Amino acid sequence: MTTNRKGFTVSLLLVVMMSMLLAACGGNDNTAGTPSPGSTGETGTEAGKPVTLEFWTIALQPTFNDYFNELIAKYESSHPGVKVEWKDYPYDAISQRLLTSTASGKSPDVVNLNTEFASQLGSKGALLNLSEYLTDEEAKSYFEGIYNSTVLDGKAYALPWYTGTEVLFMNTKLVKEAGLDPANPPQTREELVEWARQVHEKTGVAGYAQQLVSKLFPIDGIPILNEDKTAAAFNTPEAEAMIAQMRDLMAEGVVLKEDAEFSKQIQYFSGEQVAFQLSGPTFINFIKKSAPDVYKNTIAVTLPTGKANLRLSNSMDLVVPQKSKNPEQAVEFAAFITNAENQTAFSKVANTLPSSKASIEDPFFTQSDGSLEAEAKVASSQSLDKATDYMVGVPNAGDINSALARGLQEILMNGADIKETLNAVEKEVNQILNQDS
Amino acid sequence: MYKAIRSESFAAWAFMAPGLLFLAVFTFWPIIYGIPLSLTDYSVITETHFVGLDNFTRAFQDHNFLISLWNSLVYVLVVPVIQIISILMAILVNSRIPGVKMFRAAYYIPVVTSMVAVALIWSWLLGNNGVVNYLLLKVGILSEQVSWLSTSSTALYVLMFITMWKGLGYYMMLYLAGLQGIPADLYEAARVDGAGPLRLIIHVTLPLLRPHILFCTVISVMGAVRVFDEVYILTKGGPGTSTLTSSVYIFQKGLEQFNFGYASALGLIVSVMVAALSVLVFRLNRRGGVNTY
Repeated sequence: MTTNRKGFTVSLLLVVMMSMLLAACGGNDNTAGTPSPGSTGETGTEAGKPVTLEFWTIALQPTFNDYFNELIAKYESSHPGVKVEWKDYPYDAISQRLLTSTASGKSPDVVNLNTEFASQLGSKGALLNLSEYLTDEEAKSYFEGIYNSTVLDGKAYALPWYTGTEVLFMNTKLVKEAGLDPANPPQTREELVEWARQVHEKTGVAGYAQQLVSKLFPIDGIPILNEDKTAAAFNTPEAEAMIAQMRDLMAEGVVLKEDAEFSKQIQYFSGEQVAFQLSGPTFINFIKKSAPDVYKNTIAVTLPTGKANLRLSNSMDLVVPQKSKNPEQAVEFAAFITNAENQTAFSKVANTLPSSKASIEDPFFTQSDGSLEAEAKVASSQSLDKATDYMVGVPNAGDINSALARGLQEILMNGADIKETLNAVEKEVNQILNQDS
Repeated sequence: MYKAIRSESFAAWAFMAPGLLFLAVFTFWPIIYGIPLSLTDYSVITETHFVGLDNFTRAFQDHNFLISLWNSLVYVLVVPVIQIISILMAILVNSRIPGVKMFRAAYYIPVVTSMVAVALIWSWLLGNNGVVNYLLLKVGILSEQVSWLSTSSTALYVLMFITMWKGLGYYMMLYLAGLQGIPADLYEAARVDGAGPLRLIIHVTLPLLRPHILFCTVISVMGAVRVFDEVYILTKGGPGTSTLTSSVYIFQKGLEQFNFGYASALGLIVSVMVAALSVLVFRLNRRGGVNTY
């Protein structure tokens, strides 16, 4: 009798679960909205229908509340019927939020993402092709290298927003101890390596720490993918030489033998375990707090370039999800946020660099008051014309980055054979490119 | 009588209902839903297509996934070590030594500490200039600094050690509960027959702890195969693929790269593997001459 009752209960539970399963399978709406393309002229809403745009940013509240509230008010007053709802999420949470909102059919309209993530989503067809909406003039108002970083198959999936290029931070105390002159900083990667070697020999301190990521390839002019982005192109003798040199430098102790994330790099520089740091200007804020004495001895100079003679930018973009219900108004709002006037204003309050060409002519980016912050800002803004995001138009950028980073770690940290590993990573990257999912 | 049983079972179901509902929504449902998902290229953000068994064939050709499975199996080596040490610890804290309560609490603290905090503390201790290197260099065991978490030969074992260190107190408590359920007169009888402390453990304690050992081994095997937190926080599977475990790889494929269909297929494969391992543990435990309960 009890067995029967148990059986009945289990069967009932199974039936309930199966019916839930079938219901969910049926209710999965995956039809992407197909907006009608148009230009981003200053229009209100169609037939005066009120529109609410949901605008998401990454980690900008509460610091920049005043700037954005003012900007949004300005936009709303010139676009009757359009209301902007601004939401802000931490860096780690935005991708999850975007997924859950999209899954529940409540996609935001304008979203702030970094280039890698924008490329990843763009190649999956999740973002609107902005080329259909922008005028030539609008598209050309951004620095070309930065704008092109999220162009895939001729389709622009993002508007570049604020950006940063790396500069070289130098611990002058250690550099002077090594008998080098900080007033004549190294101009190329080769010179930087020589400086690092001398610092290591004279002071016992390593030159610098770095993260083993895919950008090491383009810095030295080694393309990650071929011209039409259909196959891996990094498996070359040049890449082998670059990695072999890195391995030797690590063995010598000139470069720290570690895959050092940014937080680790801060620790090493603060603890004077390295003399140099290659990163964006935000690094200053951390050093100022964690090691005031080191901060006093630190200067910022333009980053020495590698064989490719380019400097990499690290940009934030604005994208419009494919499932936005108000694509035209969304693109228009994104173009407004990223226009030269508003980018200049944002750079002034946030101490970032703009991606619009016209902004850089503002004296704010050319004059220095001698502080480390201003030095770093001027040094990095001088690099913008040479700047390009290293993942220029790479589809599935996130997957490809992971594969390359793993390969570099295998070689440099685990002692794997360079050629064999590059062959394996090449195969993996080609698989990623050939997969639809 | 029958009525009483019926009302009793009704009460039992009523008490279990909230928990069951929670389990149904957050555990059973995702597991079941994972099956149809694993046959698609579902990615939340784009249109979903049925791909049949493609995800499964891709999984067995995916070099990184196979490595992650291997690493997860290696991780299971932590299980016997953790069980033996926690049984010994339980026997120790079950004795009537003064101050034993303090030891019980001390061993249990890592269990209730958040894994994020534990991972961060160990990352400092194991850093290049951390306490571990400092002490080992001082006593001459090491001649140069070791990057414990950045070296492929040590990283996985260091993570296993951290998992063990955090889990010991939990299993110790379970075994302690088991020990306290063993009637004292059995020990008395064995002593009268001339058994020493070691014989008591082998012939009385361990056989009577068998149900606990079985339970702890099963959940410990499951935990080892599905280990995620410490690996993700400390190494993210690196350097290279040295510490890439199946859960971390599934997380990366699903939540970082939006291949939810593929990640569901990987999840199902790992679930089958965990189930098989659990069955194996049950089987192994059935052998031997002592009756189980």
